[in-house]
Amino acid sequence: METLKNALDFSDFPRVDMTIAGLIAVFLLSFPLFPHSAFAMATMIQFLMFSIYGMGWNTIGGYGGQVDLGKSQYVGIGAYTTAVMLVRWDIPFWVSMPIGVCFAVIWSFIIGYPLFRLKGHYFAIATIATCLVMKDIFEVWNFVGAARGIEISPIKYVPPDFLRLIFKEDIYYYYVILGFFFLGILYVNWFRRSRLGFQLRSIKDNEDVAKSLGINVHWAKIKTYAIATAFVSVVGSFHACYIKNIEPEDTMSLEISILIALMAMLGGAGSLWGPIIGAGVLIPCKSYLKEWLGAQAGFVGIDLIIYGGIIMLVSAFEPRGIWGIVEKVRRRKRR
Amino acid sequence: MALLEVHSLTKYFGGLKANEDISFSMEEGELVGLIGPNGAGKTTLFNCIVGLHPVTSGEVLFNGNDITELKDYEVARLGLARTFQVFVASGDMTVVERVMVGCFMLTRSRSQAKARAEQILKDFGLHDLCDYILSELPVASQKRVTIAAAVGTDPKMLLMDEVAAGLNPREIEEVMAIIRHIHHDIGVTVMLIEHVMELVMNISDRVIVLDSGRKIADGKPDTIARDTNVIKAYLGERYVQEHAAELT
Repeated sequence: METLKNALDFSDFPRVDMTIAGLIAVFLLSFPLFPHSAFAMATMIQFLMFSIYGMGWNTIGGYGGQVDLGKSQYVGIGAYTTAVMLVRWDIPFWVSMPIGVCFAVIWSFIIGYPLFRLKGHYFAIATIATCLVMKDIFEVWNFVGAARGIEISPIKYVPPDFLRLIFKEDIYYYYVILGFFFLGILYVNWFRRSRLGFQLRSIKDNEDVAKSLGINVHWAKIKTYAIATAFVSVVGSFHACYIKNIEPEDTMSLEISILIALMAMLGGAGSLWGPIIGAGVLIPCKSYLKEWLGAQAGFVGIDLIIYGGIIMLVSAFEPRGIWGIVEKVRRRKRR
Repeated sequence: MALLEVHSLTKYFGGLKANEDISFSMEEGELVGLIGPNGAGKTTLFNCIVGLHPVTSGEVLFNGNDITELKDYEVARLGLARTFQVFVASGDMTVVERVMVGCFMLTRSRSQAKARAEQILKDFGLHDLCDYILSELPVASQKRVTIAAAVGTDPKMLLMDEVAAGLNPREIEEVMAIIRHIHHDIGVTVMLIEHVMELVMNISDRVIVLDSGRKIADGKPDTIARDTNVIKAYLGERYVQEHAAELT
């Protein structure tokens, strides 16, 4: 009971924040009712997906300060579990998604145990390595389609199929991922003030002090890493049904791992709204810049340059991201 | 039965003998000062007792349990807390949140942890600071908050490493009041490393002196102050020879 109350308790945010958050929630809920292009819809779904990736990353990377650059391997595990189970045995999404989460969490425990013996940059590099290895394994693994990947053929099913999550119109996908988005916010809102959340934040400040307060640092990190993994894996499963064509390159690439981390850091690592702000800035930037400048004016890759620039500016002026700037301005006003 | 027993504890860092054959014991309710010149091995001794460093040989018993091989967080859970000498707070935790981390050792419930943290801060006279961000406070306040966090774990015994270092006389008074509060009112057995003699000689029941990794004296503060070995360790052999007449 107290858990649920804490998850729904946003009272430590100023009223302005909650008003803005409420308006954004209303906008997100009603967005498909306004006239919109298919491209805008796709961008919104991308934004929601990456927000959830970012929220997951934020638990270990933001609150815990463990910069993880290998999250996309769990996108892959989730996506492949759902796709393979659907194509081979016709197992619906709502069954394969939890199974995918189990696989991802088990794998996260197996590699988390040695990974968290490392600290700082070494940890970050090791997470990249595990991610690259996973991708290479999937690229040669025939059972899951190797480098060609695996395709969910929509003609086999009768859309709208709510069990298998096969739809013709993107609006259904939009509301499914929006549901996960709100659940994700509630979970992180509970997490940040739970015992584990406090332990992680104190680990980020100083590990020796954390240990002296009775915290099993290694285990707390592994547990949180598993939570982050579960977030990512759920969206990975969704990704499989949404995209319908899964290959190692676009589910487990290093680019996705880095994008997840960058988004959370840009928005503000270690804050509830940070990953959402980060995804809200970067995803439209990424897809629209790619579309307008890349496809129309012929500046291929300009989107990468621009968001690289944004990251450099933010990390030079305020390492705690956009949310860090907001809080800094607020504190200055109060004085 | 003694609360803490250390039997011939030895710690080598490679060829460096940081602690050599140190034995002492502490009764419940005692307040013991641990002094010695820089590099005497005081902090290393603390680190070995709580399990932050593995010991080379020897044995540590706490409350009847052999804690020699335990990890530092396991030792903390048994009720042996410590504070650190150099603590530079970073991050965005507020004062009350920092203390709550300690309280969370006892409970999963956020409301219980918060109530306990607020009570401790009130008792420490730090209630006004509750919502300040710890890393933005002056060092003296940070030190008091970290002591409060350690007390949050409800320890039987607290090892404090140089709580008064770098503080001005008024701040030392405040820290001393907190140490007395922990010892008298909460009933925690305390051992403190301290260089500020007026503090340690004033409040300790007993003082242990280390020099070059060995225990050279153990006794009441006034006997320690007149101990030839201690004076030699602090002021050198020549001082003792020149002032031999006054010292005896």
